[in-house]
Amino acid sequence: MKTNILYTHKDLIEKSKSGDRNSQYKLYELYIDAMYNVSMRILGVREDAEDIIQDSFVDAFKNLTSFRYESTFGSWLKRIVINKSINFLKLKKIPVTPLEQHEYYISEEIDEPVKTMDIPKIKKGIAQLPDGYKQIINLYLIEGYDHIEISEILEISSSTSKSQYHRAKKKLIQIINTLE
Amino acid sequence: MDNFEKYIKENKLLFDEHKPDKAKLWQHIDIELNATSKEKIVPFWRSPMIKIAATIIILIGVFSLTTIFTASNESSNFANQELSDIDTYYKGLVSFQVELVKNNAKLSLEDKEEFLSFMKELDKEHLLLKEEMTANLNNEYILEAIVQNYKKRIELIENLLEQIKDSKKSDDNEGYIL
Repeated sequence: MKTNILYTHKDLIEKSKSGDRNSQYKLYELYIDAMYNVSMRILGVREDAEDIIQDSFVDAFKNLTSFRYESTFGSWLKRIVINKSINFLKLKKIPVTPLEQHEYYISEEIDEPVKTMDIPKIKKGIAQLPDGYKQIINLYLIEGYDHIEISEILEISSSTSKSQYHRAKKKLIQIINTLE
Repeated sequence: MDNFEKYIKENKLLFDEHKPDKAKLWQHIDIELNATSKEKIVPFWRSPMIKIAATIIILIGVFSLTTIFTASNESSNFANQELSDIDTYYKGLVSFQVELVKNNAKLSLEDKEEFLSFMKELDKEHLLLKEEMTANLNNEYILEAIVQNYKKRIELIENLLEQIKDSKKSDDNEGYIL
């Protein structure tokens, strides 16, 4: 079952590897929406996300031979998009992690409960998060990466990832609750 | 994982709220991927079948042209190479043996002259054949005739040398018999 998932769109991928533009377009069509949203969540600016997406697809197709079905094509591509988006923020000196050092931060119990579970409200709350908190919430809650993967993406330790995530979540809940 | 996290993860798809301008983005990607070719790129999703058909026709055309060209080129190159190999081989052999004959003191002047006139005739024939050869590169008969020409010379020389050896042998034998 697992290998079946890994080889999703194998035919299209193999044809794309040999430079078949038609297959490349089909792959693009399959993944563009998801990838664009991944980049938009990190960057928040339409033009920036478009640049990153173009760049990511061009890079992906140019380096497709290095894709060897060790993960799904989707997660391989998504990692390219995320890395490019995070690098873009770093180049613009927009913090991708909270500015304060939290190496010795001990996660507290989050006592404040969420008053109402509502996706539009959560979206608004994430948008209002400080830059440094936004990425870790995105990566963990929406993109579904674990703390080890996040530590690689953001170049921090996994314990820092954990503590920062808890801080960010606490902050998010506070914001959501004030929205009511 | 608490309920808040679960709720978000279960509703992940609702966070995909942005719609990209697919055609515009692909146009840029297509141009980037074609960066090496200078031609204006027609966005192919508008006419994929036409593009595919054209590509196949062009590919077949290019393929057949190149195969025809390289094949003929290869064979003529090959014949040329073979010919010059044969030519140098025999030329070396003949000139070596002519020198041997010329320098041989044991042959009478008459014999030498007779031999050299034969050689000259064959030389003329050889030159003619070579001219013919450049005009008509792949003619097997000419190639064969050239080789035949060389073989005749060698035969001639070998006969002559055989004569010399025979006379030498009898001389030597006499010398050693006590």
